[in-house]
Amino acid sequence: MSRARRHLRALIATAATLAIVVPLGWLWWASLVPDTYNVMDMGVVDLGGGPDMDHDMHAGQDVSTFTGPDDGDPDVAITVTARKESIELVDGPTVDGYTLNGTSPGPEIRATQGDLVEVTLVNESVPDGTTLHWHGVDVPNAEDGVAGVTQDAVDAGEEHVYRFVVEDVGTYWFHSHQVSHEQVRGGLFGTLVVEPKPPGLFPGGPVVDTVDVVAAVHTYDGRRTVNGKVGESWQQAEPGSVARVRVVNTDNGPMRTWVAGAPYQVVAVDGYDLNEPTDITDTSVLVTAGGRVDVEFTVPMDGSAVRIGAGGGGASLVVGPEGATAPDDDEPEAELDLLSYGEPAPIPFELDFDRSFEYRIGRWPGFLDGRPGLWWTVNGEMFPDIPMYVVAEGDVVRMTIENTSGEVHPMHLHGHHALVLSRNGEDYTGSPWWVDSLNVEDDETYEIAFVADNPGVWMDHCHNLPHVSEGLLAHLMYDGVTTDYVVGGDADNVPE
Amino acid sequence: MRSTYVALARLVALGVVLQAAFIAFGTFDVINVVEDGEVYDGDYNSGQVLHSLGAMAISVVGLALLIVSFFAKLPGGVKWAAIVFGVIALQWVLAIAAFEVGAVIGLLHGINAVALAVVAERAGARVAKLEPAAGPERPRTTTPA
Repeated sequence: MSRARRHLRALIATAATLAIVVPLGWLWWASLVPDTYNVMDMGVVDLGGGPDMDHDMHAGQDVSTFTGPDDGDPDVAITVTARKESIELVDGPTVDGYTLNGTSPGPEIRATQGDLVEVTLVNESVPDGTTLHWHGVDVPNAEDGVAGVTQDAVDAGEEHVYRFVVEDVGTYWFHSHQVSHEQVRGGLFGTLVVEPKPPGLFPGGPVVDTVDVVAAVHTYDGRRTVNGKVGESWQQAEPGSVARVRVVNTDNGPMRTWVAGAPYQVVAVDGYDLNEPTDITDTSVLVTAGGRVDVEFTVPMDGSAVRIGAGGGGASLVVGPEGATAPDDDEPEAELDLLSYGEPAPIPFELDFDRSFEYRIGRWPGFLDGRPGLWWTVNGEMFPDIPMYVVAEGDVVRMTIENTSGEVHPMHLHGHHALVLSRNGEDYTGSPWWVDSLNVEDDETYEIAFVADNPGVWMDHCHNLPHVSEGLLAHLMYDGVTTDYVVGGDADNVPE
Repeated sequence: MRSTYVALARLVALGVVLQAAFIAFGTFDVINVVEDGEVYDGDYNSGQVLHSLGAMAISVVGLALLIVSFFAKLPGGVKWAAIVFGVIALQWVLAIAAFEVGAVIGLLHGINAVALAVVAERAGARVAKLEPAAGPERPRTTTPA
């Protein structure tokens, strides 16, 4: 081979190598996310067909100014102390995790509609720092508890006070939003129930249940529990009494719940009462990750008990007289479709949309912050090129959530409740169905609508929390609102 | 260059064997967990994590094989390295389709894995068998692997 040909060959080999390595290297480099960044700088502005916005993302009112009432005595005040420590499961093993006030689940906070709630979070020993996010409560933005977006993570030895008025009745929960995929899984959460005002104030008003109990379902190290107890939990109730069980799914995957031993009604979803629910039997109802479903039934007069199933794993809650047994049926095959359950009712806004957004979820190979893998995409792009959905206060917004990623995603929008309009093109025909956490199965498309009535910077993400660290998130941003908090930074904020 | 080529090709074949082992481990773990009445909540278990790391590793090795083939001046070396790389790419496509279109495509993913092991082993073996003089590379004193 002549020298010239050898040179030519080496040149071609080098060119071919560069043709492979350079694009890959560029993709890798372009995916790198700085250790510290502001969410206002990360993403693709999406106006949803609405009017343009102020292009200086750092101009405007800071999220820290959107607080609850600064003064006034709280109606409910509680200090919640977070620790990293082992948890002794009732009737189960001891597992490593996190506690609030020494237990997991942490305290159940009960308040009455309109109460000013003040929660002092004390981080005693959570090494990564922690926060409390009020899941489903449409709090002012500064109280939302997202590290790096609405506050700094609370380091061990520090404390943070949350103050907000609970305007809506319903079943809610609270959990860490700092390294949340680890801390929530490890048990750093509690529940919040907002009860209606006493019926005396509203003659003929809401019926007060004789039994009202939370069933917080959580899986610790593979053991599914109800209120921290493996297997069967028990709640005393007299025959003939009306029981409301507030099922909270604190896990990462969807769960089915059902009532065996009595007909039941699904009376509320994500804190919103359903209109004219009807009795159902042998039917389960899906509670998506982060979601809540309240079921109501009458304890049978024959002295038997009722079982509330909580998905697989053998955990359940039995409600009935002492010593009574409850049927131990398998999970019913039929599943309630909330799209057609109950009766329609007026909705509080016109479906005349100021902005329409798409939230298309897919999956694609590529680099996420330099790590190669098969990652989630939102609208075809990988993190950090996630959508920044821009709204103005008062906008009526339509969001179309489409999932073709091969896995179910429980989509959670902070600070707002959205009305489910349709699924796969089929309009809702039942009760208005309001969600803050919506189960979007693979190959499903949901249309939801909400009013932009709570200014701030809000996460809109998958509540299968490891998916958030794999890039499945977006932000809802109000024109004229900005945040000075940063992800990373001195506080080591890691919201996902 | 030539022994590197052979080593990389055989590393791909070995990787496929490990991948089969990892995914079997992961699958049995899911079954055991569920049968013990515990809950499998969708997080990758050790076997599945190893399988996804293995997928990365094989892809990187396949890419390295292709790049080495450009410089190794082995007859048919580039062609076979490209075949190996193409089968790896197809394996990714089938994995994504198994997630997005339907798990049944996993059957093709499994079959294509065997194809990958075969072509990778063949790519390595044929170069290993080449008479040292047959390649344009100067004869070496080392015996081929």
